Amino acid sequence: MTTPTPNAHKGQSPAEAVRLSSRHLLGIEGMSPLEIRALLDRGNHFADHPTDGNSVALHGKTIVNLFYENSTRTRTSFELAAKRLGGSVLNIAVAGSSVKKGETLLDTATTLNAMHPDILVVRHNCSGAARLLSQHVDAAVINAGDGRHEHPTQALLDALTIQRRIGRIEGLTVAICGDIANSRVARSNIHLLSTLGAKIRLVCPPTLLPADIQHMGVEVYTDMESGIADADIVMMLRLQTERMAGTETPSQREYFNLFGLNQDKLNRAAPRALIMHPGPMNRGVEIDSAIADDVEKSLIHIQVEMGVAARMACLEAISLGAL
Amino acid sequence: MTVTRLYNAHIIDPSQAIDGIGYLDITDSHISAVSLGQPATDATCDKKIDCKQAVLAPGLVDMRVQSADPGAEHLESLATLLAAAAKGGITALACLPNTRPVIDEASAIDSLCLRASRIGGPRLYAYGAATKGLEGAEMAELGLMAEAGAIGFTNGTSAIANSLTMRRLLAYTSMLDRPFIQHCEDPDLTEKGEMNEGETSTRLGLIGMPAEAEVIILDRDLHLLRRTGGRYHVAHLSTRAAIDAVRRAKAEGLAVTADTAPPYFLLNELAVSTYDTAFKLSPPLRSEDDRLAVVEGLADGTIDAIASDHMPVDRDAKTQPFGPAAPGASGVDTLLALTLTLVHQNHITLSRAIELLSLAPSTILDIDGGTLMPGASANFMLFRPDSSWIIKGADFASHSRITPFESHPVQGVVDMTYINGEQIYPVTALD
Repeated sequence: MTTPTPNAHKGQSPAEAVRLSSRHLLGIEGMSPLEIRALLDRGNHFADHPTDGNSVALHGKTIVNLFYENSTRTRTSFELAAKRLGGSVLNIAVAGSSVKKGETLLDTATTLNAMHPDILVVRHNCSGAARLLSQHVDAAVINAGDGRHEHPTQALLDALTIQRRIGRIEGLTVAICGDIANSRVARSNIHLLSTLGAKIRLVCPPTLLPADIQHMGVEVYTDMESGIADADIVMMLRLQTERMAGTETPSQREYFNLFGLNQDKLNRAAPRALIMHPGPMNRGVEIDSAIADDVEKSLIHIQVEMGVAARMACLEAISLGAL
Repeated sequence: MTVTRLYNAHIIDPSQAIDGIGYLDITDSHISAVSLGQPATDATCDKKIDCKQAVLAPGLVDMRVQSADPGAEHLESLATLLAAAAKGGITALACLPNTRPVIDEASAIDSLCLRASRIGGPRLYAYGAATKGLEGAEMAELGLMAEAGAIGFTNGTSAIANSLTMRRLLAYTSMLDRPFIQHCEDPDLTEKGEMNEGETSTRLGLIGMPAEAEVIILDRDLHLLRRTGGRYHVAHLSTRAAIDAVRRAKAEGLAVTADTAPPYFLLNELAVSTYDTAFKLSPPLRSEDDRLAVVEGLADGTIDAIASDHMPVDRDAKTQPFGPAAPGASGVDTLLALTLTLVHQNHITLSRAIELLSLAPSTILDIDGGTLMPGASANFMLFRPDSSWIIKGADFASHSRITPFESHPVQGVVDMTYINGEQIYPVTALD
């Protein structure tokens, strides 16, 4: 645990448990600024009091982590968050088991449903999978990443990280760099940060930019230096190495040259910018190791820590049911 | 010799420019007279039917239907397909070669048509696969299939990607005087595609298929057509750019025809916003501007025909995330009512609707039907264009019950369908 910085979010005396307008947490798009702020305040509280003895929100409740894609940090983060709130956690890595036996998403869902879990945390490689699941199970569903669509708890933990370090989100300029087209992290962050009044820039080669994304209220850059100039936050996305093998971009070498974040680019563009990355990082591909490990500039480890706090807020809110 | 008279009918026959209250006489299997006004009272008929001013029009000719039989009979049998067609006022339908096995040889054409004729009801025609196994490489035995009754050739639900193969197919089918039906979709541009590309696909995180994929194949084919001759038909047109290209090609005098299907003039890509897989179709639902272009194309004659694009899909294939869900939906039950929406919205006349659904497709495919001309086979239907109902997949006669129009209110109810003078729907005679 890090001690809260002097800029840490303050003022809201012990944040109340949050209730959301929806029974499930499927995405940031459509959430109100009020709901998002309440979750962040509650997350901030859990960040300061990670083992809050009063919190028994999930006592007697079963949380199932249903992961169709490999994940270490998100899954363990949800697990830890649930356990801190007193819940029982069941981890199911479907990636290697039933999928290969031909069982469909809904077959698995029906099976799990019969075990009466209270909350289903699902990650799936198909966009819309969490929503589909929510229509067919009794449990409340939390989306832990669906295809290229959304990763709402990542955006919440990113916002919590920024808020604790800088003290606000409104008015900040955030540059999101890398594989936007295939990133659910980018989409959730665009929705969340713009809902809270940040200015969003996207920096990537045109081949990794999804169609008409300008309509989502962002500015698009294909030049790293102008894209991150004066940015308060530089958020790097993970680039899958197969996308650098001559299809979307010519090579890993060229990508790192043009879009990789190193000290040189950072110095010339925005010396005071803070660096974020949802992980796992490709060191030397989209980000130079020296920057990633620079405790002055890099928020990457704080992101991981805030992941637990933000997910505690989400699990608690979902366990209380919709308003 | 039996004479049946249907009188007090609102007769619409675009082939003779008839649109008004009149009567129709059937002698055995053929139409013997059709006229506006009241029949002479002394006429002798074996049977008289008062149509109560319902519309009497040539039976619909559905030029794009996927039969699940052979190969996927659990989705739909020929019997339910034909029964649903009859209920929908369809008297002839043309089936794609995308069956298992693929219809890529004469015996497969024979077999499908023969089995359909044993069941009876609407007349089933088959397209032959343009390439063996629909693989897009080797030409199938087009000439032998033509002799067996193939009414056209197509690679079904995929476009011929190779330009040389396409050139040869157009050249060869020109000799056979059969149309080539193309599903215009560039396979590279749409690889792994899940929906139309645009803001909606970006928001949903679904892989987009650009609208240009349609016109790129179409433009290439039109260039080839100028050189080869032959007849070229574009199936389920869905984008403005492609419709503009067809319009220009027709003005130039090329032998081009085109159809579309109800989803493309009634729905747009926003329907996908909830990941409802009933809206996963091929081609994908397009932008609102594209939809408007389809409506304009239907009104100004650029698009010749409307087909149901019937594609049997079951709930298992649709109860999936959007990406892996199967494309397609049922269509024969709703073809008439959905098309009539254009009439009720004043985009086209009732007569134009019948032309799109009957006269034009039978002309393009050169098959019996599409007219009430005396001497023609008595293939017609009676319907009430203003009667309203709510579309419910569960009530379909087709065994395939997935529709993107679930719960849509529509108008237009078929009362009777006749083939060769025989009433095939409703199955129990009215008298």
